[in-house]
Amino acid sequence: MKPDDTSMARLMALAQAGDRQAYGVLLDECQTWLRRYFMRRVAPGQLDDLVQETLLSLHRKLATWDSSRPFLPWLAAIARYRWVDHLRQFYRAEEGELADDLPGYDQEPAIAARISLDRLLASLPEPQARAIELVKIAGLSVAEAAQACGQSESLIKVNIHRGLKKLTALIEKA
Amino acid sequence: MNVMNRDTNLLIAELVDDLRPVRPLSFWRGLGVVVASMAAMIAGVATMVGLRSDLLTGSPDPLFLLANGLFLLLGLAASVSVLAMGRPRVGSDHSGWAWATAMAALLPATGFALALAGKTSALTGKAAGHGLDCLMMGSALGLLAFAVLVIWLRRGAPTSPERAGLVAGIAAGSLGTFAYSLHCAFNDIVHIGLWHGGVVALSALAGRMVVPRLIRW
Repeated sequence: MKPDDTSMARLMALAQAGDRQAYGVLLDECQTWLRRYFMRRVAPGQLDDLVQETLLSLHRKLATWDSSRPFLPWLAAIARYRWVDHLRQFYRAEEGELADDLPGYDQEPAIAARISLDRLLASLPEPQARAIELVKIAGLSVAEAAQACGQSESLIKVNIHRGLKKLTALIEKA
Repeated sequence: MNVMNRDTNLLIAELVDDLRPVRPLSFWRGLGVVVASMAAMIAGVATMVGLRSDLLTGSPDPLFLLANGLFLLLGLAASVSVLAMGRPRVGSDHSGWAWATAMAALLPATGFALALAGKTSALTGKAAGHGLDCLMMGSALGLLAFAVLVIWLRRGAPTSPERAGLVAGIAAGSLGTFAYSLHCAFNDIVHIGLWHGGVVALSALAGRMVVPRLIRW
């Protein structure tokens, strides 16, 4: 069964009250959801680390979810923060190609589109998004990225710096 | 179960084992603590240095009301934004503080304009000394609200710690200068704009520099 907002919100409310069984089920569902969420936007070899970092943040920030609000936009905000932080630290992927498909988004397409990483990335000016995609996500070197998109190497670096700064500011808004 | 999932499942088991009941961060409780800290600041000013005489007689100066009203609203708007930043969600827009800051910035902008035109004595002699008092006392009082907001942000999950720090500083400085203004007898726009506005600028800078280092994800 694919995770949905209503059941995850119910499990989260139980988890906040200390129900370990519900928490176990919730974390398992979150793991599934996060793998799908990050799949196309992180190299496969980095996916496990990123999912684990996000689950740890979820655990530490359990009290910040408001039970009167939907669960997935909260989880997505934490996942986006972790993803942008990951992009900042990550310089070159060597673990293979990105997955092309993005399964699991057919259940609640409106929510999925609103909270997706694609939407966050699309909020950047095109040159900044392209520089981040090529270097930080696809794992090209700055020189390779410059050749691929026609920007100079220094412009690639500037666009990555500005783009990541802007992504941080837009995590909840975009 | 595949190999990639194995470590994550171990982590999940550890997290489940570590689970303790949590008290969700309540916006209204947070706002209540901010308001209580403001009340404590006002009480401190009233008992330690006393309130302005025109307040005690019930006929406050219009400029005092206007300027202090702006600082109070800025402090509350920024505090509400900080409280919202502690409980993240995609789709949340907590930019109200920016508009309030723009409106309150009219005070220092006017102060600067008049100071540049030489139409003030607020920056010289005894008046400057009093201005420094306002700057230091307003900033010191604001520390109480600052502590409350930093504790909230440390418990919360601000996705932009730098901005959260900046806004927490603006909130603390505005509430601090509002509280000390209840004592300050000056009704000069240059004094209010530069020295009282300076408290907000100084606190904002301190918040931007300090708070990101205090936030733990």
